[in-house]
Amino acid sequence: MKQFSKIFKFELKGYFKNKIFVGITIFSVIAIALSMFIPNITSLFGGGEPEKRVMLIYSNDAEFSSLAEQYFSAAFQDYEVEMADGGVDELKERITSGEAECAFALNGLSSFTYYVDNLSMYDTNVATANAVLIELYRLNAMLQNGLTPEQANDILDVRIEAKTTALGKNQIDNFLYTYVMIIALYMVILLYGQMVATNVATEKSSRAMELLITSAKPTNMMFGKVLASCTAGFVQLAAIFGSALLFYNINKSAWEGNALVQSIFNIPIDLFLYMLVFFVLGFFIYAFLYGAIGSTASKLEDVNTAVMPVTFLFIIAFFVVVLSMASGNVDNTIMQICSYVPFTSPMAMFTRIAMSTVAWYEVVISIGVLVGSVIAIGILAAKIYRVGVLLYGKRPKLTEVLKSVFRKEK
Amino acid sequence: MVLEFKNISKSFGDKKVLDGISFAVESGKAFGLLGRNGAGKTTSIRILMNVFPADSGEITVDGSPIDYSRLNLGYLPEERGLYPKKQIFDQLVYFAELKGADKKEAKKAVDRWLDKLGMTEYRNKRLDSLSKGNQQKIQLITALCCDPQIIILDEPFSGLDPVNAMLLKEVVREQIESGKIVLFSGHQMNYIEEFCDNIAILNGGKIVLSGDLREIKRSYARDRLVVDSPSAEKIKADFGDACYERDGSLILRLADETDKRETMKRLIDDYDIDEVKVYEPSLNDIFVEYTEKQV
Repeated sequence: MKQFSKIFKFELKGYFKNKIFVGITIFSVIAIALSMFIPNITSLFGGGEPEKRVMLIYSNDAEFSSLAEQYFSAAFQDYEVEMADGGVDELKERITSGEAECAFALNGLSSFTYYVDNLSMYDTNVATANAVLIELYRLNAMLQNGLTPEQANDILDVRIEAKTTALGKNQIDNFLYTYVMIIALYMVILLYGQMVATNVATEKSSRAMELLITSAKPTNMMFGKVLASCTAGFVQLAAIFGSALLFYNINKSAWEGNALVQSIFNIPIDLFLYMLVFFVLGFFIYAFLYGAIGSTASKLEDVNTAVMPVTFLFIIAFFVVVLSMASGNVDNTIMQICSYVPFTSPMAMFTRIAMSTVAWYEVVISIGVLVGSVIAIGILAAKIYRVGVLLYGKRPKLTEVLKSVFRKEK
Repeated sequence: MVLEFKNISKSFGDKKVLDGISFAVESGKAFGLLGRNGAGKTTSIRILMNVFPADSGEITVDGSPIDYSRLNLGYLPEERGLYPKKQIFDQLVYFAELKGADKKEAKKAVDRWLDKLGMTEYRNKRLDSLSKGNQQKIQLITALCCDPQIIILDEPFSGLDPVNAMLLKEVVREQIESGKIVLFSGHQMNYIEEFCDNIAILNGGKIVLSGDLREIKRSYARDRLVVDSPSAEKIKADFGDACYERDGSLILRLADETDKRETMKRLIDDYDIDEVKVYEPSLNDIFVEYTEKQV
């Protein structure tokens, strides 16, 4: 135990003294802080009310001109709506010169052409204009059929009250933070898993291993390294998410209108705890695998190719989860199977808990399998490590290493 | 204290790496474990260091199996290497702690050894900023700083300049005199010959020769003379086929061991002789003789 704690402390100190580790953490904290201040910074430079953009309307039917101006002004409040009399050419010219941002050329009430300089991916003006013209068309039709403007407005103004109550989970609310957590898990495991593998291979290639293996027990080495990298990863995540939370709270009022950002910071505590459990267990499984495989590489250049199968396994798990999330059905058969397979369950089961309703025993089984696998893989990894670190030269096949591991046990 | 390898065997897969090797090392005496590459030296050391167990046989200290929690072993591996990017002092303390020293005592011991080997100025530097020879001295500290009872030195002198080699010789001598068990391994025969009273030569996982080095040498027939003389050419001409040169010295083969005194007298009387003595095989000769044919 004493030896394990020495290894753990030495490895952890190594991370905290690593300039790249410190640099990435500081950079991330600054980036998060800046992004949390964005609304305040924008308003500071914007100088109060933003300048309104100009939208031009041209109607070839003079009868509708004033009505169209009134309705378009109401529908496009971000724009300064102006009527243009010079026809389509004037619209094009004023948009090209930058005087106006966009324009609608109305052909009666049932057809129009939308002119815009660069069409943004998020441009919804056509849909809004469609809705405005449908309303105008209906109003016009009602007036022509003898209804008074008040009667027509009453009919058009009817609003249906709709309420949605999710008895299980609300995927809309949970989607974003589940997604953020899955991405965080994905990045931390890949980053730190590779670090564990590189760390072991570096010790082996620098031959420090010759001394280490004769001074410390392989189990202590493996568990010390993995736990240190896990702790370093958590400290980094805590710094990043902690600063995000801190700067969010400082700028809370500025983010009030943004439901998306708010939803990330309103993660329920039970889900947060589940996340921690799956995070730690998932991290251990992969870090042990990365460490064991790193020990079979004699040179640093071999590490990337050696760990590729584990990385692929993890990427597949990630895609299964993300694609299921995107499809809206996180309880599909593949996800259900993945919830119990230790290599995929940290992401799959967490996603199902967050975005669906999962029975308590399913969660218990999944965590139980995961805990058992962590212990089994940890012990196996230490055994592979003990054999792997003594093998130099051509990288041995995994089957050869496993054969040696089990031969030793006879 | 006596360290004993008793009938140790070890196989990796189908390959028998050690086949019933036995030898004993006494404290206060250095022991040379010799062998060609792949003879089984490193495997023997790793079994002693408890990296993996032997398939059969046992290693004892004073007749009892080794208690690794109480016995301290210092090891200088043939493949040198520490953490190149880490501070020297930090890693030396770490290795001392791994062997069971507490932090305070480890720091003290490391500082003492850095001072002894004239390396204090590099204490806070990264290892990769040092020359190869100095890196080797740092590595030596990892082997010695926990005051081990058994010291295993695998090719300790390779890569050292003459001044550093002399410093290391002094350190090794000190350790032997203080009653430690010192086990040398490697191929630098001149150093092993200088330090070791006893040797064992491994070939193909078996011990092909072991014992007191002086006795081994004496066991060879004393039927040759080494002659150092300015009149070497004349001697060669006079003695004909009985004479040959080796490593710059003239060797005179005698018809019989008993001719020794008479031939010596003849040489001194008839020629200008600087030195004449009975030829003893060097450790190198013995090693080549016993390992030339790989088993």
